[in-house]
Amino acid sequence: MIVVLAILGLFAFLIASIWAAATLDAVCRGWIAGGGTVSPAFTPLRTAALWLSQQRLTTEAPDRLNALLSIAGYFALGLVGLALVPIGPDTTLIALPTSVVAWGACESLVVVVVFLHGWSPNAPLALIGAYRYVAIGLPIMLLSMFVLIAAALPAQSLDLRDIVTSQSSVWNVIRQPLGLPLFILLGLSLTLRGPFDYADSADLAGGTSVEASGPDRLGWQIARLVMLTGFSAVAASVFLGGYLGPVLPGPLWLAIKTLAIMTVVIGLSHLLARMPVARMMGLIWIGLLPLSFLDLILAGVLAL
Amino acid sequence: MMTSILFYALSALAIWSGWRVFRVDSMIRATFALMVSFIAVGAIALLLSADYIGVATVFMMAVEMMVMGLFMIMFMMNPAGLNPMQMVHQYRFSIGAGVASFVGLSVAVLTTALPVSPLPPGGETLRDLGTELLGNSMLIFETAGVTLLATMVGAVVLSSASGRFGSGSQGAQPPGLTEGGAPAGRKVDAGSGHSHHGGGH
Repeated sequence: MIVVLAILGLFAFLIASIWAAATLDAVCRGWIAGGGTVSPAFTPLRTAALWLSQQRLTTEAPDRLNALLSIAGYFALGLVGLALVPIGPDTTLIALPTSVVAWGACESLVVVVVFLHGWSPNAPLALIGAYRYVAIGLPIMLLSMFVLIAAALPAQSLDLRDIVTSQSSVWNVIRQPLGLPLFILLGLSLTLRGPFDYADSADLAGGTSVEASGPDRLGWQIARLVMLTGFSAVAASVFLGGYLGPVLPGPLWLAIKTLAIMTVVIGLSHLLARMPVARMMGLIWIGLLPLSFLDLILAGVLAL
Repeated sequence: MMTSILFYALSALAIWSGWRVFRVDSMIRATFALMVSFIAVGAIALLLSADYIGVATVFMMAVEMMVMGLFMIMFMMNPAGLNPMQMVHQYRFSIGAGVASFVGLSVAVLTTALPVSPLPPGGETLRDLGTELLGNSMLIFETAGVTLLATMVGAVVLSSASGRFGSGSQGAQPPGLTEGGAPAGRKVDAGSGHSHHGGGH
């Protein structure tokens, strides 16, 4: 019974957060363009209806199976992230003693599905987007591993449930101040946003989704927002104490923190500029990776 | 009961996707069919209460197969690997090797007395594995790990150096093979077929 309720609650939250994220994106776009947006809350619905009614155009000899698998896989990975998150003491949909590693597996599979999405249309711009994404997506994922291990140290466990309970006195965002900013960079990369959008960016006319049209395009965009929700929930649990909080019930706290992280990610994706791939490679390996070591060392010294 | 059904379903998926590796005509499909096979094996490890090994298999294989797929495409004569291509070579040898290894592994499995006692519930498999891996060989693991990582960072430092006007090596000349000799490397013919620069010739 409680499992059914949890699943229903998660799906309701997922739909609400997808709509909220799409609305916020529309607002940010209008704000940056300087004109504002007419009824931003309905813009996502209108766009969705447009894509649903659009004809599906295909390229010559596309890899149809991999195209479908990439959309479904991206969607599923976001759902798994959401299901790994504890919504109360000892309550998760996927109860694993190694749930942080399982989230790491989701991160690495995201690189695979985004690559497949760029590969399958058999078109040059999409393929360039796919290659660029792999080059940046893999090292940024490496960085997130160190950050997550650092967060697991005070809990002495790889279980997200223990990581949340270990934050009952002080949240990880205060204990490990480098952790959340670095992890949010990973979130930008996982959801193909802003400075880490090397896959679907405008300089490639849409990158991996340049050839996607109709329901495929809608599915891919929804999957991106599902991944954004899943990532935000994991980040809220690892760094902001998840369901912990006074007065309000636990799931509500988790929802509030998830939406807060999501707002930050969306804001950054519209405010930060993107660098050339080679420079970003240098920044990740030479600048950010040592920072994540520092985070790990500080966490280790504190845990001792 | 449920575990048995899952076990057989995952085994079937592992075998089927392993077979597809050799039957598909695209590099990328072959690579990721292999990945699916490994993921199914990782899920079987999860069924066997080897939580860490199961999840880590999925994690490692996703990254490895991604990198392997890219490198295969890079070094193949067929650019980008988009055209259909034959995935099998050396038929006779590979059939012989396949049959031999299948028979060998089957004999090994059938003749070994495999343990049948289930794990005690609530066993600390993760802690046991950590002690097993890092108990006595902590220093070796850590030294090797840090060395490899330093190598990777060093390689990126060298290859991604950028100057003001592009890559750091732009306009640089390689040193000569002999002392004071002409620069090594490929010679670029000046003015071969590029007569459209305007009246300089």
